[in-house]
Amino acid sequence: MKALILVGGFGTRLRPLTLSVPKPLVEFANKPMILHQIEALKEIGVTEVVLAINYQPEVMLNFLKEFEAKLGIKITCSQETEPLGTAGPLALARDKLIDDSGEPFFVLNSDVISEYPLKEMIEFHKAHGGEASIMVTKVDEPSKYGVVVMEESTGKVERFVEKPKIFVGNKINAGIYLLNPSVLNRIELRPTSIEKEVFPKIAADKQLYGMVLPGFWMDIGQPRDYITGLRLYLDSLRKKSSSRLATGPHVVGNVLVDETAKIGDGCLIGPDVAIGPGCVVESGVRLSRCTVMRGVRIKKHACISSSIIGWHSTVGQWARVENMTILGEDVHVCDEIYSNGGVVLPHKEIKSSILKPEIVM
Amino acid sequence: MGSSGEKVVAVIMVGGPTKGTRFRPLSLNVAKPLFPLAGQPMVHHPISACKRIPNLAQIYLVGFYEEREFALYVSSISNELKVPVRYLREEKPHGSAGGLYNFRDRIMEDSPSHIFLLNCDVCCSFPLQEMLEAHRRYGGMGTILVIKVSAESASQFGELVADPDTKELLHYTEKPETFVSDLINCGVYVFTPDIFTAIQGVSSQRKDRANLRRVSSFEALQSATRSLPTDFVRLDQDILSPLAGKKQLYTYETMDFWEQIKTPGMSLKCSALYLAQFRYTSPHLLASGDGSKSATIIGDVFIHPSAKVHPTAKIGPNVSISANARIGPGARLISCIILDDVEVMENAVVIHAIVGWKSSIGRWSRVQAAGDFNAKLGITILGEAVSVEDEVVVVNSIVLPNKTLNVSVQEEIIL
Repeated sequence: MKALILVGGFGTRLRPLTLSVPKPLVEFANKPMILHQIEALKEIGVTEVVLAINYQPEVMLNFLKEFEAKLGIKITCSQETEPLGTAGPLALARDKLIDDSGEPFFVLNSDVISEYPLKEMIEFHKAHGGEASIMVTKVDEPSKYGVVVMEESTGKVERFVEKPKIFVGNKINAGIYLLNPSVLNRIELRPTSIEKEVFPKIAADKQLYGMVLPGFWMDIGQPRDYITGLRLYLDSLRKKSSSRLATGPHVVGNVLVDETAKIGDGCLIGPDVAIGPGCVVESGVRLSRCTVMRGVRIKKHACISSSIIGWHSTVGQWARVENMTILGEDVHVCDEIYSNGGVVLPHKEIKSSILKPEIVM
Repeated sequence: MGSSGEKVVAVIMVGGPTKGTRFRPLSLNVAKPLFPLAGQPMVHHPISACKRIPNLAQIYLVGFYEEREFALYVSSISNELKVPVRYLREEKPHGSAGGLYNFRDRIMEDSPSHIFLLNCDVCCSFPLQEMLEAHRRYGGMGTILVIKVSAESASQFGELVADPDTKELLHYTEKPETFVSDLINCGVYVFTPDIFTAIQGVSSQRKDRANLRRVSSFEALQSATRSLPTDFVRLDQDILSPLAGKKQLYTYETMDFWEQIKTPGMSLKCSALYLAQFRYTSPHLLASGDGSKSATIIGDVFIHPSAKVHPTAKIGPNVSISANARIGPGARLISCIILDDVEVMENAVVIHAIVGWKSSIGRWSRVQAAGDFNAKLGITILGEAVSVEDEVVVVNSIVLPNKTLNVSVQEEIIL
């Protein structure tokens, strides 16, 4: 079985992190974002994954070689020479997605994190016999998104409404699709939107069905949602009683710590924290609701909350970092500095406090 | 004293990528020395000035950038100017004087009688020939280019005191907190080969002190330079300051313009200064037109031969348009740098801005800023491949590469 992951472009919403690393390789819960999806696909028997990319292919290709071997799944790239939107890449990768088996293929959006109930989706798809299945998720504020209006009992999709002004439903497109090869006949090789052009036509032919996604869902393409997403993800790990979560007197709530990271005495870590490989957290440090990327050093007595600390950065002694502070790669916050929402580009030293949210170039 | 047969070598310090993030976001896409001012890479201006020195044997660019960043430029400029230009990469920082000393064998290959040392990010008229003549008259080891600035701004630089008659350097201090002098160091020097002996002297002195320190721990507490490696020698603190007042160093004052190009805002200001200079030195480089057959040109404007400008557009003053740019009908450009492959569509307006490579400026859109070259958001900067949609207004903002603006913004940095 095959799958396509829409990786897309520049990941500008996740800057400054994406100034150093292409978005799909930015780690989430200590694992490159795209690896979460590839592993979920491998688990249900997908043998080949095509990555639809249009930016920094060399970096992606190196990553692929490494993981193809490790995971035992074929990973190829389909590179757009011009941005093809959300449906065009499928047409571009047509030859890779269709084989003689006639099996449907998955399409995933690389920014999405969820439990990936792909096996249930295959069963749902077989049961309704339609051309396409789409995962939908319930949200509190549907008018921020594209709402999928469906028949309650069967899940048959009636229509899509983009950012509705009145309430038409609370289920939105979760960015996970299971499509029959015939869908490719509906997509031309040009910039096309799957939500605006392709799906509405399939829905009109009464061939599109929506399945409500059980479990959590988050689009982690921007820092605020990345941090919320980590909470949901770790919560889901807890429910599965994962042994991967850290335990100990210094741990509060759900915390993920890479085995090569070191944590000092008198720390209080959690809730909702991920600490990456090679990190050093010195004694007396308080971390909550934050991600600490590979190779970071947090010095004594520092306090970090609701922030993301980029690779190989350091946070000084008694520093306080909070309120959506995002440090790019190799950023050094001096001792005793306060950062309230500073967004700092790579290779900087922060020598004076940032009192209100600001971008430091 | 110098004879007309003696050779001269020039060394231009170009810096490196980790030194200074002040040139972002432009430095995210190009090495600062290669950013164009008045249509030519920044480093081109001191290089052309060096070319005017009689008996110039060689030009060396010294810095930390990867060799491949300069390879193309160096070979093309060597061909164009018919003088050998080479890029020498420093493996580790040696300080401004240490860097010169590190490559002394290459520099002395042609047995030059005089060596010019210039900083790439200095914008001035580079009166190198006059400096050399003055230096020969003074008979010292080195001559420093200096300029008078306002008393308030002097503290950002190296302040010097010079004898008004002999022009000897009497006193030098780097970025002082209290007022010393309104005469500052321009970052352009000419030396005789004795400079290498002086630099080596500093190195050995430091080595001796380091050895001594192993014996006396009290010394270790006192020395401010204990953390500097012995081959790290700074021109200002280690050479100019100590040698002031010893009849070794002299000054040459320039009455022309002088600026440091540290930020993108300053690069726009300096581009204008060089365009104004072209009016006197190379007027054929400047564009002209009155709207009949070609666009209306006001003031000093550079347009690359491959750029296309619609005759109904009005350009200038102080505009520089790079290769393959397309300026559409009715567009108005004032005080801006338009980089390669940019498309400015019909009736758009750009004022006090730098528009990055491959960007597109939509119809009736307006990209502008207050024009304060020193303020953080004083010039609007669009990074590479930024798309400003039709009728959108961008004021006093910085936009990082690959963004599309479909709503107007003011006073913002957009990542």
